[in-house]
Amino acid sequence: MLEYILAKYNYWIYIVLMMIGLYAMMGKRNLVKKLIGMNIFQTSIILFFVSRGVKKGGATVPILMGDGHGHGEQLIQVADYLNPLPHVLMLTAIVVSIATTGVALATLILIYKRYHTLEEDEIMAIRKEASAYKTLGT
Amino acid sequence: MTDQLPALIIIAPLLGAFLTPVIGWRYRHLCRPWALMVLAVPVYASIASLLRVVKNGAFGYNLAGWAPPWGIEYRIDHLSALMLVLIAVIGLLATINAKAGISLKMRGKEPHFYTLLLLQITGLMGIVITGDLFNIFVFLEISSLSGYGLIAHGEDGAPMATFNYIIIGTIGASFYLLGVGYLYMATGSLNIADLATILPGLYHSKMILVGFAFFTTGVAIKMGLFPLHIWMPDAYTCAPDPASSLIAPLMTKVAAYLLIRIMFTLFQPDFAISIVPVATVLGWMAVIAIIVGGIKALAQTDIKRMVTYIMVAEVGYIVLGISVMNRAGLTGAILHIINDACMIFCLFLVIGAISYKGHGREIYHFQNLNKKMPYTMAAFVIVALSVCGIPPTCGFFSKWYLILGTIASKQWFFTITLLGSSLVNAVLFFRIIEKAYLAPLDSGAHGNDHSDEVIVRDEAPISMLIPIMITATAIIVLGLFSGKIIAAVIQHAVPAIF
Amino acid sequence: MKNWFKLISLIAVIMTGALLIYGTHDMPAWGDPDSPANSHVSPRYILEATKLTATPNMVSAVLADYRSYDTLGESAVIFTASISCLFLLRRIRREKKGEEV
Repeated sequence: MLEYILAKYNYWIYIVLMMIGLYAMMGKRNLVKKLIGMNIFQTSIILFFVSRGVKKGGATVPILMGDGHGHGEQLIQVADYLNPLPHVLMLTAIVVSIATTGVALATLILIYKRYHTLEEDEIMAIRKEASAYKTLGT
Repeated sequence: MTDQLPALIIIAPLLGAFLTPVIGWRYRHLCRPWALMVLAVPVYASIASLLRVVKNGAFGYNLAGWAPPWGIEYRIDHLSALMLVLIAVIGLLATINAKAGISLKMRGKEPHFYTLLLLQITGLMGIVITGDLFNIFVFLEISSLSGYGLIAHGEDGAPMATFNYIIIGTIGASFYLLGVGYLYMATGSLNIADLATILPGLYHSKMILVGFAFFTTGVAIKMGLFPLHIWMPDAYTCAPDPASSLIAPLMTKVAAYLLIRIMFTLFQPDFAISIVPVATVLGWMAVIAIIVGGIKALAQTDIKRMVTYIMVAEVGYIVLGISVMNRAGLTGAILHIINDACMIFCLFLVIGAISYKGHGREIYHFQNLNKKMPYTMAAFVIVALSVCGIPPTCGFFSKWYLILGTIASKQWFFTITLLGSSLVNAVLFFRIIEKAYLAPLDSGAHGNDHSDEVIVRDEAPISMLIPIMITATAIIVLGLFSGKIIAAVIQHAVPAIF
Repeated sequence: MKNWFKLISLIAVIMTGALLIYGTHDMPAWGDPDSPANSHVSPRYILEATKLTATPNMVSAVLADYRSYDTLGESAVIFTASISCLFLLRRIRREKKGEEV
């Protein structure tokens, strides 16, 4: 049992992180807290991917040291270098996460200018009042 | 030259989008001709690709010269080519239509609007054309981000609706990425064709099951399948009219295309039937979506909101066709993707024309609209007939195949639901048509006040009228040629097992 | 009302977490050099990237050569986000200046 947990504890860590992010997105009523939850959620997925590229047994970063022009005739062992593919995918995913956060923050600025609050309950109350007023005046 | 056509489909709008702010900085009125010119290239290239696929079969295109699975490849087969033509043509028509709506609300920001429009079309076409799972995620995010930007600029409730859409849409895309991660961890490859050969040996692995569950949930969020459709009514109602006429027909249909790809190309069909009972779950979700969509649509008085609830029901039709798992059902689902895109597009165009002319969007504002905007209302009647499923419009043929599919799999409750929802659609549309065509003028007790009110014919501008007319004609033409379309294209898109 | 909503999200979150933990049962152990992810596609990247692309950094070689299309899409994502922000926020600046749009 103990070696089962030790072999896979990295996955359980990222699952806990992901659930914290998901709960913040769904359960919190403040809009900025929802945004932070979204960031935590995306970061945990990045962590999951990157942890897949690790190789135990002394693997190092996937950069060829020394003479890198290819005519050095060094024998490259696959087990000596980490898997480069998850790193590549996650560079793109980090950029996507930042872009989405940026657009969400711009939207939050628009919301604040309009309603002067960032709590979802108060915004719903203002909108309900406004729509009731509109149908009353028709 | 014709060998490089698949690359042109994506490169042309992408480079056009990069150059549009530069052009628009000095000459703001040149943005629209530039966007139209740029969009003519994918229309031509996608029609050429469709003809080539029909003649020769599916073909691929390796990007940057590396063979898959070490590089990324495009994979154009019958279903992809059909979706490409759909997206390119609707994109072009939406750009023609956008001129009037922009001058109303967003004057001075044309460069940004056309850039986001071109990027949205690039993202949607990129999802359809590629054969690599992570690439789909990147282009999904391009189309989502441009959608967020376009929607947030609408009427009063738009920023809040956009924020909800961002939160829920990001959950969907992240679940999709998680599914890709699980599949990568189990097999080591990201290419769809490569995975389709490796996966059948691994069907009993728990990782694959969980990965498939997250794929399906993520795509269902993007598609608006009940109960994950809560972002859709607010986002599409509050969006500005030129934007919603582009995003609304296409985004859900591309997500439905992704679902078909995952369930039939990536995983073999019997995975979804026997190993995981996903087909049953999806079927019941679809039925509930049709019922709830119909009921909520009946309760609306704002016509744009009513159309978004009709969209929820239409997504239910498509998923119903996928979930019955036989040839007729899947043919009906694919045909309905095309037909529904045209119908919803035409509906949003008509609503945009009516709003542009200053009439409101409640049902009672439709009074005597027949005399004021005859061509627009004629197109509206054609679309209404198609949504109800009356021949010879295209809606009849896709519903016919869906009903055949549910009968063939002996799901009688599904058949009854399909027929019932046609009745509900008839009620929804005929109450509007009655207001517009048949309600008499308010003469009688009011006497002198209204005797000198002359109803002036005040038709929508030409830039809005042309796309409406083209789409309404296309609805009838697609209906008349359904048999040919099915025989030439759709029949090869359905997997051969059925 | 507030607490009821938090309870529903808590239940949904626990169910999703349980599904994810169920999925880790089959996963290869952390750092296993023979797992499918490390032995199907990536050995060829490690062995041949520097020879064929003349870049010592394998991540750059994959990012800019083998999967350069993804990098193009990523630049398009940044561009889209910046144009979206400009589209949304420029209105406020103009209103402050009091200009006619």
